[in-house]
Amino acid sequence: MVQANVTAAAVMSFTKALEDDSSAFYKKMADRWPEHEVQFTAFARDCERSKTQVTRTYQETISDALDATFSFEGLDLDKYRPDMALPADVGYSDALRIAIDLEETAIAFYRIASEQASLLATIPRAFNRVAKRREKRRLRLESLLADAGS
Amino acid sequence: MALLREPIEEPLDLRNYIDGEWVESEGELKDVVNPATGKVIARVPISTAEEIDEAVAAAQEAYLDWRTTPPLARVRCLFRLKELLEENFEELSRIQTMEHGKTIDESRGETRRGIEMVEVATGIPSLMMGYNLEDIASGIDEYLIRQPLGVFGIIGPFNFPFMVPLWFAPFAVATGNCIVVKPSSEDPISQIKIVELADEAGIPPGVWNVVNGGRTVVSGILDHPDIEGVCFVGSTPVGRDVIYRRCGETGKRVIAMCGAKNFSLVMPDAHLDRTIAACMTSFFGNAGQRCLSNANLVVVGEGLGEEELDAFYEEVIDRFVAAAKRMKVGYGLDESVQMGPLRDASKKQRIIRYIEKGVEEGAKLRLDGRQLELDQDLPGACFLGPTVFQDVTPDMVIGREEIFGPVACIMKASTFDQAVDMIHSNPYGNAASIFTSSGKWAREFQYRVECGNIGVNIGIAAPMAFFPFSGMKDSFFGTLHGQGREAIRFFTESKVVIQRWF
Repeated sequence: MVQANVTAAAVMSFTKALEDDSSAFYKKMADRWPEHEVQFTAFARDCERSKTQVTRTYQETISDALDATFSFEGLDLDKYRPDMALPADVGYSDALRIAIDLEETAIAFYRIASEQASLLATIPRAFNRVAKRREKRRLRLESLLADAGS
Repeated sequence: MALLREPIEEPLDLRNYIDGEWVESEGELKDVVNPATGKVIARVPISTAEEIDEAVAAAQEAYLDWRTTPPLARVRCLFRLKELLEENFEELSRIQTMEHGKTIDESRGETRRGIEMVEVATGIPSLMMGYNLEDIASGIDEYLIRQPLGVFGIIGPFNFPFMVPLWFAPFAVATGNCIVVKPSSEDPISQIKIVELADEAGIPPGVWNVVNGGRTVVSGILDHPDIEGVCFVGSTPVGRDVIYRRCGETGKRVIAMCGAKNFSLVMPDAHLDRTIAACMTSFFGNAGQRCLSNANLVVVGEGLGEEELDAFYEEVIDRFVAAAKRMKVGYGLDESVQMGPLRDASKKQRIIRYIEKGVEEGAKLRLDGRQLELDQDLPGACFLGPTVFQDVTPDMVIGREEIFGPVACIMKASTFDQAVDMIHSNPYGNAASIFTSSGKWAREFQYRVECGNIGVNIGIAAPMAFFPFSGMKDSFFGTLHGQGREAIRFFTESKVVIQRWF
């Protein structure tokens, strides 16, 4: 269902939760597969960095005169809630596939949010930066999956 | 959607801040009520005449040391204040939503604007510089220096409890003056929080004082012989007939920023999607309780035949009403809410009387905010939905007077000239906007319209901290405006020195 009332504040909370949950997901991956701990821990840290950057951009850009209340009208946030569950019996390759899905969903969210935020000064740029970072991560995950011999 | 955490859990007992100390007032206490929930969140003292005298005396005493403190040292206090404001950004914003009612996006926007004032004021070592010319005559040099004046009073309004006193305070303090701030007694908590942080930032005792209260405090500021100037934001009757007049009588500098009835023109070549989105923020942001809100939307038929104009008029109204209908009204700490309540129930009743008047006068009520149904379980005493009238004329009471609420009046004009005449027929001159794709009409508009703040495809023409917040006609009384370089001039005397050495 399309949510009519999506404010900038709601989008920011969504973004924070997305990055927090993504970070938690990669920490779990690091715990589960210690041989790839360095890589997954770096992904987790990267998510935290993205959260800080986006939050900071919003707080430094928001102004009482901007159309923040209405910029994201019609954006259906539920479409961009990736499945981040990591079942106990999931294998390494399937876990990577979940991670790739997560990245694709998140990238799609950042791209559409960036388009809709075109009047909100530097916010679209911040969203695009995170999308780009996630795109790189997706490629790295693809390569890990290929290495895993799937 | 779940509510954000409320930073005020128990009612606060507010005190005055005088000479670096938190002082209990002898005055009676008044409840500060969260307009969304109806809960008491603080008790504010209505201070006495003696208490304002004490604050002015403390400021006067602090002045001599403060004005001789090097500007670099003064602004280092402001740099620290800015950092503290950033650290407390979210709490400060949520407090505004709790005490005023605005949405959390609006509160965060207000916090940012306030911080920007502090940021600009940290540039005082450059901004306060004078200028010079040598050899104006044989061996004679002339130069101008800017000197602070002493103690200033700042009287804040209820609609922007955090930001508005900061239009003045950082500039006054950075230039070496001392201040006494009187926050609105309706929502004083933000100013108390700011001065807590100013104290933590190391601003010396007596430089930045806060005295809560009402008319007695205002009279004390206006009449006090040791106050050099007054900054006021509020209604036109008070600003013009009390503040401006009394400052004239007592020889004080004055900035009195007052009421408004802002017009917005929609030309046939306007980008309608963006115009309507901008209008929602402009007409209904802060529940219409802002002096830069647009109040009258004029659909202009320049170049159109009568039938085409009628069709364009109907299209704009239909889209405006459809967008306004979709707005979610509720408690601003719910992030899905797009408009909060009015500050108090009496304001709602006052606006309802205007709606009734509009109906009586024959305007067509297209969207009736009185019929609002809240999704949330909240007392409805202060809530009013977006309201839209069409077929309003500039001579109707609703088209002429400042309603200060979420009521849009839509009008029709055949030509651009007729629309400009409508603007000029109104006594206010705070802001006006035009929505157009034509540079010609935009240029004509900014050139001819007698309003202090002009928006071109902008719904809220709010000047940034480094520009003056202008205003004309019955919207402004004084000479220099708040913010930016004009604020520097307001808070300083220009002294000219002509010098020769034998």
